[in-house]
Amino acid sequence: MKTIRPLILTLLALVLAACGKSGPASPPTATTPASAEPKKLSLFCWSEYVPQTIIDDFTKETGIKVSVENYSSNEEMLSKLLAGGGKYDLIQPSEYTIEALIKDGQLLPLDPGALTNLGNIAPEFRAMSFDLGNKYSVPYMAGFVGICVNTSKIKTPVQSFADVFVPANKGRIVVLDDAREIVSWALGSIKLGINDVTTENLALITPLLKKWLPLVKVYDSDSPKTSLKNGDVDIGVIWSGEAALLYAQDSKFAFILPDDGAHLFVDNMSIPKTASHPQNAHLFINYLLRADVSKRISDAFPYYNPNLAARQLLSTEQLANPASYPPAQKISVMQTFRDLGQLSATVDELVTQIKAKGK
Amino acid sequence: MPEPTRQSPTALGLDPRRASWKAWLLLAPLLVWLALFVLLPTILLIVTSFSNRDELGRVVYSFNWDNYRRCFDPTWLSIFWDSIVYALLATFICVLVGYPAAYTIGRASPANRRLLLTLVMVPFWTSFLIRTYAWISVLSQEGLVNSLLLSSHILPTPLSMMYTPFAIVLGLVYNYLPFMILPIYTSVEKLDNSLVEAAYDLGAGPLRAFSRVIIPLTRPGITAGALLVFVPAIAMYAITTLMGGGSNPTIGEVIQNQFTRARNQPFGAALGVLLMLLFLVCFFVLGRKKNSAHPV
Amino acid sequence: MTDSTLLGRAHFFRLPDGPKLVRWFCGSWTALVFAFLYLPIFLLVLFSFNQSKSGFVWEGFTLEWYDALFHNRVLLQAFGNSLLIGTISTACATFLGTLGAWLLYRYRFPAHRLMETFIFVPMIMPEILMGVSLLVLFVLFSLPLGYFSVIIAHITFTFPFVLIGMQARLEGMDPSLEEAALDLGATPSQAFFKVILPYLVPAIASGALLAFSLSLDDYIVTVFVTGAASQTLPLKVYGMVRVGLNPQLNALSALGIVLTMFLVFVSERLKQPTPGETL
Repeated sequence: MKTIRPLILTLLALVLAACGKSGPASPPTATTPASAEPKKLSLFCWSEYVPQTIIDDFTKETGIKVSVENYSSNEEMLSKLLAGGGKYDLIQPSEYTIEALIKDGQLLPLDPGALTNLGNIAPEFRAMSFDLGNKYSVPYMAGFVGICVNTSKIKTPVQSFADVFVPANKGRIVVLDDAREIVSWALGSIKLGINDVTTENLALITPLLKKWLPLVKVYDSDSPKTSLKNGDVDIGVIWSGEAALLYAQDSKFAFILPDDGAHLFVDNMSIPKTASHPQNAHLFINYLLRADVSKRISDAFPYYNPNLAARQLLSTEQLANPASYPPAQKISVMQTFRDLGQLSATVDELVTQIKAKGK
Repeated sequence: MPEPTRQSPTALGLDPRRASWKAWLLLAPLLVWLALFVLLPTILLIVTSFSNRDELGRVVYSFNWDNYRRCFDPTWLSIFWDSIVYALLATFICVLVGYPAAYTIGRASPANRRLLLTLVMVPFWTSFLIRTYAWISVLSQEGLVNSLLLSSHILPTPLSMMYTPFAIVLGLVYNYLPFMILPIYTSVEKLDNSLVEAAYDLGAGPLRAFSRVIIPLTRPGITAGALLVFVPAIAMYAITTLMGGGSNPTIGEVIQNQFTRARNQPFGAALGVLLMLLFLVCFFVLGRKKNSAHPV
Repeated sequence: MTDSTLLGRAHFFRLPDGPKLVRWFCGSWTALVFAFLYLPIFLLVLFSFNQSKSGFVWEGFTLEWYDALFHNRVLLQAFGNSLLIGTISTACATFLGTLGAWLLYRYRFPAHRLMETFIFVPMIMPEILMGVSLLVLFVLFSLPLGYFSVIIAHITFTFPFVLIGMQARLEGMDPSLEEAALDLGATPSQAFFKVILPYLVPAIASGALLAFSLSLDDYIVTVFVTGAASQTLPLKVYGMVRVGLNPQLNALSALGIVLTMFLVFVSERLKQPTPGETL
């Protein structure tokens, strides 16, 4: 009897606690104290985009154990996230994917009170059209798509996408293996906006693509710098961060932002509404927003850092890299991608068709 | 210890036993597995292939033939055809390259046999991506072959080998060769030596003995190997993209794109179902040939 | 002494092809095939000692990458996951495949052909479709994505490979082997374990090897059915390779190769008196 009584009491207490917890008025919100959550965080991010040392240091500082899963395209992330079962606390979608996820009600509104370092972000990145005022997302890193030229091999000046796709460059071109990107360049070069993707406009650019794509030797979104570095191609339309790495190794690789349709992409941190550790996710976002931490991301991946405080910590060399930090007036006119929805399949089909026929 | 007979198994006319309840019990794990993890996913896939999708690419279950109708567009058919050609070429080269090696391994002493067999597999215990990237360091313009050719003045300008159909086929052959060698080895290993010797005794030369006795006796291995190479090679996409540079799209890449870029799972599923039907046809054709080839 | 070893001893390195020329051709051809298989491996090992972080130019000897590798907790953990998943799924796949091949060979079941066809579906299903359909299935069963889901997926796509190899071996088996054992008074299960199983050992060994290699190397199916905790080596490697070949990965491959070679040679030494066992 002596031993049973405390047991019953404990059980009762547990049952009461459970009832209180499952009461109707306590949905998981970001405002409950962080101590209520187990020290775990499940991060679903782009591969090789969040340096491991930063994750390790976060664990050291907070005791929160981070498990990381990677993806290599927004759609890959979407298909796993929307299927459920993965239980991710933090995802890293690009701008047009954020737009679609917000529209579908898939994201948890962020708690501004928990993001004390949000002020480090440059004002223009706090007013992005896909998520005005960072209600659902915080920019992680931004960048551009532009032209990278091996100037020791290609002597003619290159200013626009049309200059890349000339017969003289046949078999010497690498481009991103991304139908949406390719279509946006063609739209830009006939003076249309990168988001003016309609069936009629696609028909307009088809002849242009039929001229361009047979000249391409390599399609690679993952590591377009490899073929440039190995000398298998001499010119390419690639991510600015990749071009920055090439330039840092050898200044013969020039980066040009063409006037006809270069665009800005923004990768963000967001919390899915199904997250089981939203407070820890806020802690991690706020940690990434710290100037010293964000600076280390720039060291590893020299894209355009939206974190102004971090940019002040960068070396003059890093800031002088033309692929990482091009002139401000060029950036101010750039647009970001809007979500295409069902049309993305049409875009993919068009480009695949021309690719297959272009051999 | 029974003496090995010189008759082929079918010649003995041994009928398989009728299955007893014990046999059923033993087969149960396999059946459950097949039902849960093969049959059910296949049904899900077929259902998907007749469905629609929403803005975010989620499957909206419905019934229409649109996805299949789209599959027969000339674009996809020509990509299908190219993929078949690459896979056939890779299979053929794998047989040519792999057969003599498998034969030699199968005729070595038991200890050497196991050693050589393991040596065939060891490279494949590193990631196929790392192996494929290693080939880039051999074939690219600043790679091993070109620097050797240039420095020895055999060639004035570097050869362009990466990102060509040659590179694709080489990548496929390299990655699937062991899947050809293993089953041929298994066949060679159990090859009855006295049959071959009898061929010699009856005056057959090495070529004749090889084509009339050894090849027919090891045909099950060749068939199994061809299936093991051809089937995955046709749907492969990572190697073809890395080595081919993506300018020769394969059907595997197209299917992959429906899931990872185009947000069109139903169409990807429809292409996949057609691909599987093609494989089933191959499988039955090869299976029939195998059976009819037996009474030697 | 098992039957297979007797057979093996009987033609101990006796190529029945008569002329030396044929033997010479086969030998040198095999050597060339091995050179082809090992050329990239050799380069990987070489580059793992190269000071240059990228590119193929030799810049001097270093052990830096090995040091970095041993401190790369993420890769080491992923490697552990891969070994665990590979071992468990290989054991299950070998069991399912061996038993299945034998039962389908020995007994006649209703819907026999249909069963055989379904066994080959995982082999012919493009990996990405298998990944996606299994993901849908696991979500349907509300099975959380993790070790368990990955192991199920790996067993599903490896066991047919074991089974097909086993069938090739069984097709060439002398059916009177089992009859004779039964005539001599063995029970059916004794006949299976004492006669059939030893005969199947080479096929079991190569099947298990194949299954393990496939499991260890799989990226496409795993990526769909894994959770954040059960990340395997190929997933982590793929992420690293995407941004160009990292010397740490060269070091990893070199270590993997050396380690497996070492294990093979040790097991050869240990198992010298009892050939015919699994590797």
